[in-house]
Amino acid sequence: MQAEMDQILEILHRYPPEKRHSLAILQDLQHHFNYIPREGMEALAEYLGCPLSSLYSMATFYRALSLKPKGRHIIKLCDGTACHIRGSVNLAGGITRLLGIGAGETTEDGLFSLELVNCLGSCALAPVMVVDETYYGKVTLEKLPEILAQYREGAAE
Amino acid sequence: MTITIDGKICSCEKGEKLLAVARRNRIPIPTLCHHESLPGQASCRVCIVEVVQQGRSTVTSACVYPVEEGIQVYTNSDRIRRERGMILALLHKRAPDSRLIADMCRIYGAPELNRVSVSLPGKCILCGLCVRACAELSVGAISTVNRGVTKEIATPYHEPSAVCVGCGSCASVCPTGAIEVTETADTRTIWDKTFPLVRCARCGAPIGTREELDHAARKAGVERETLCEHCRRRSMTDVLAAAYGD
Amino acid sequence: MTRTILVCCGTGCLANGSLEVADEFRRLIEARGADARVECQVKRTGCNGFCENGPIVKILPDDIIYYKVRRRDVQEIMDKTVAEGQAVERLLYRDDGGRPVLHQHENPFYAPQHKIALRNIGAIDPTRVEDYLEAGGYQALRMALEMTPAEIIEQVKRSGLRGRGGAGFPTWRKWQAAAEQENFPKYVACNGDEGDPGAFMDRSVLEGDPHTVLEGLAICALAIGAEEGFLYIRDEYGLAVRNITAAIADAERHGILGENVLGSGRRLKLSVVRGGGAFVCGEETALIASIEGSCGEPRPRPPFPAERGLFGQPTVLNNVETLANIPVILKDGGDAFAAVGTEGSKGTKVFALVGKVKRTGLVEIPMGATLRHLIFDIGGGIQNDRPFKAVQTGGPSGGCIPAHMLDLPVDFDTLKSHGAMMGSGGMIVMDDRSCMVEVARYYINFLAEESCGKCTPCREGLRKMLEILTDICEGRGQEGDIELLEELGHTLQDSCLCALGKTAPNPVLTTIQYFREEYEAHIREHRCPAGVCVKLTSFRIDGARCRGCTACARACPTGAISGGVKQPHVIDPAKCISCGSCREACRFDAVETEGREAV
Repeated sequence: MQAEMDQILEILHRYPPEKRHSLAILQDLQHHFNYIPREGMEALAEYLGCPLSSLYSMATFYRALSLKPKGRHIIKLCDGTACHIRGSVNLAGGITRLLGIGAGETTEDGLFSLELVNCLGSCALAPVMVVDETYYGKVTLEKLPEILAQYREGAAE
Repeated sequence: MTITIDGKICSCEKGEKLLAVARRNRIPIPTLCHHESLPGQASCRVCIVEVVQQGRSTVTSACVYPVEEGIQVYTNSDRIRRERGMILALLHKRAPDSRLIADMCRIYGAPELNRVSVSLPGKCILCGLCVRACAELSVGAISTVNRGVTKEIATPYHEPSAVCVGCGSCASVCPTGAIEVTETADTRTIWDKTFPLVRCARCGAPIGTREELDHAARKAGVERETLCEHCRRRSMTDVLAAAYGD
Repeated sequence: MTRTILVCCGTGCLANGSLEVADEFRRLIEARGADARVECQVKRTGCNGFCENGPIVKILPDDIIYYKVRRRDVQEIMDKTVAEGQAVERLLYRDDGGRPVLHQHENPFYAPQHKIALRNIGAIDPTRVEDYLEAGGYQALRMALEMTPAEIIEQVKRSGLRGRGGAGFPTWRKWQAAAEQENFPKYVACNGDEGDPGAFMDRSVLEGDPHTVLEGLAICALAIGAEEGFLYIRDEYGLAVRNITAAIADAERHGILGENVLGSGRRLKLSVVRGGGAFVCGEETALIASIEGSCGEPRPRPPFPAERGLFGQPTVLNNVETLANIPVILKDGGDAFAAVGTEGSKGTKVFALVGKVKRTGLVEIPMGATLRHLIFDIGGGIQNDRPFKAVQTGGPSGGCIPAHMLDLPVDFDTLKSHGAMMGSGGMIVMDDRSCMVEVARYYINFLAEESCGKCTPCREGLRKMLEILTDICEGRGQEGDIELLEELGHTLQDSCLCALGKTAPNPVLTTIQYFREEYEAHIREHRCPAGVCVKLTSFRIDGARCRGCTACARACPTGAISGGVKQPHVIDPAKCISCGSCREACRFDAVETEGREAV
């Protein structure tokens, strides 16, 4: 717990205590912990001298921020227009059948989270899926099991 | 300068808000999220009016529109009646338990909208006045949570707030009475938190929650108030009487 | 002699493995050592815009360009092209007649393009400020330092430049309004929160030519008298954030930005703000709220940001592509820029040509070109030569334009007068297998999720429009639904607080206007003519046309298709989920759709 608090404080002190840095700090907390721990939000409110409610409001407003822990691997399935008309919805269904999770959910083993995201700006490769930082273009239902398997194996190592 | 509202010539100052000019001239424009001490909310959109300027007609909300020389304003045109009615009908779907909204729907001829479902039970129209009031008092116990169609007003983590002082300002500015406040002889409960009520040291009437009085005293840098307003005035009279004689 | 190998490392090419291609070039060059006859260098460039055919490799000075280059191809390119100047024919692009194309400017995708905003992208290494300087970068800033604010604004005014982010507001007016304010400090900000699904030109510019954005922003700061600026960039655009952040540091190190701009004694501090993931933050007052560290909720205008913007001070916000044009306008003069384009829309526009079109990617062409030119000449027509049905311009705020209007010139005013919008330049091409009701539902669903929820008509109105559209797509449509959608749409257009809500009904209203019969088929006959709406469509294989290639069976996610090789296949209706994957996979047009009675 103390270790977590030290990490939180380290992240807060990257920025001067001004309200305008609240979004950046929340994003850094999100990147570090894969979600925003309550202790982090409370420490931030104290650091900035602002109401907790205003940070809670932001954390629930911005899609990049999450209050619940996410899986080790984050699958971002693009549902931008180009991907949508090239079948991203079918891919979402495919992932649900393979992993048993819908959009916004995390597998029970904590390995994967699925997010249906807005356009990733890679429309020429539609439909696009990003796992962690790796882009996969022109994804088909056929290719899905193979792509996901890599991350399963990676986890076993 | 002058503007015309529904055919009536009204004089006004540059930068004045259209709603204020209309009200001064006794031209009724309905509002929900407008509050004299918390202006500029502009979220309910019930106060929309048609503004014609240089032959171009636009719809705008009267509460935040700064008047300009020579504009013609229509508060009750066909277009405004239709759209205001639609907005009220949408609010009725959102807050079906609000008497005020139901009455306004009737008065302004809102359509029934039976085709679509009721969004949620309750009275809240998400105008945000309560959040503003709480923030203005430097408390910040509540905020909007989520966005878009899932937006709501709540305390952080939907738990009783650590900073709420139970002053009830949020409830008193709410246009639809959506915030529940219950009082017993010596407690007040609001946002799932119960506060002890402090009574006037002289007459015994309730004067507020302990936290509320402490918060006000802290802000003003004075001792916590012990008297109700009535007794305070009387005690002031007593002091003056003692100083200057009868 | 010297040869330069440019390897495209935009997000699209990276996804196709361009990094390993670049590394392989480096490895081979190093391995050859000092005895090499040809001195060569490898550069990683930004996005060439033709992402579908990546990784893209260009060899200079021969100007030979290769597509879909894999690591195993690198040795051959080194041996033939880099050493001998000869082309590897199999890696060249083939034009519509199947002929190989040697040079980029002969490629039918690039040939008609006129590059201003994208001028450097693909030609320079975005991580090297030296490259930008060599290409004439920061000369415009140097010129601006010698000019008065009024002179700078005059050039922008003469250029006729209008904001490329959506509404097309004249850029010089914003600058002028902010320049007139006597209230300091003032701020400049770059809107890089590209949120329109189907548009990626801002990402491309930020990744591929970050210094041009910084230069444009710096010139704006001089024109209005600002000393501090922000670049608000979507956090999802990791490479863009990295390249811009590095570019700011480089420019400061070179004395171009920072405490003493090019030795002039002027100060300009720029910093990056990462967007939080909210489409509404593309709206300027919401973006301001977000930079200030709040929820991105718009506020009423007036006051406009030029008067009261960031932290209550005068602020100019410009879009990425707008800023990328500024250095060119200053260097070549506003009149030269205005010589391109139409009467009301000057210069060029970058479009993201995507969807069911053969050649997809970023296209920069003069304003006023027709949709037909864009989709058929540059885009090469519709995939699999299916019929063109509609094009959605301007993303969720735009509209669907039908086939009979293909000869419309594309500019701000023409699109607007037809219920669509330039928006940020998304062009999503749809064929006969795109359902217009479903497209409208898709956009309204997107907007309902992205609405900030502050004002009633947007929050509640979109929710109800989505409910009705979902009903129609699922066979529960009723008589009167179309009229109710129109009524709701007009209310939103008039009464919403910000541009997101005011333009939100456009996709619904234009699809009703141009494809009303498709709505009626859904409502009255419970039939989806395009065969897209799952609950209204079932699939069947025409045994006469099926060749038994098994492509559909492999594509089927539920194993609903059976049949041996070279035998007609059959779909088991009990297992079929009507996803349409088989129809997409079939090369013989053997998969048919038929209406299904709604449950």
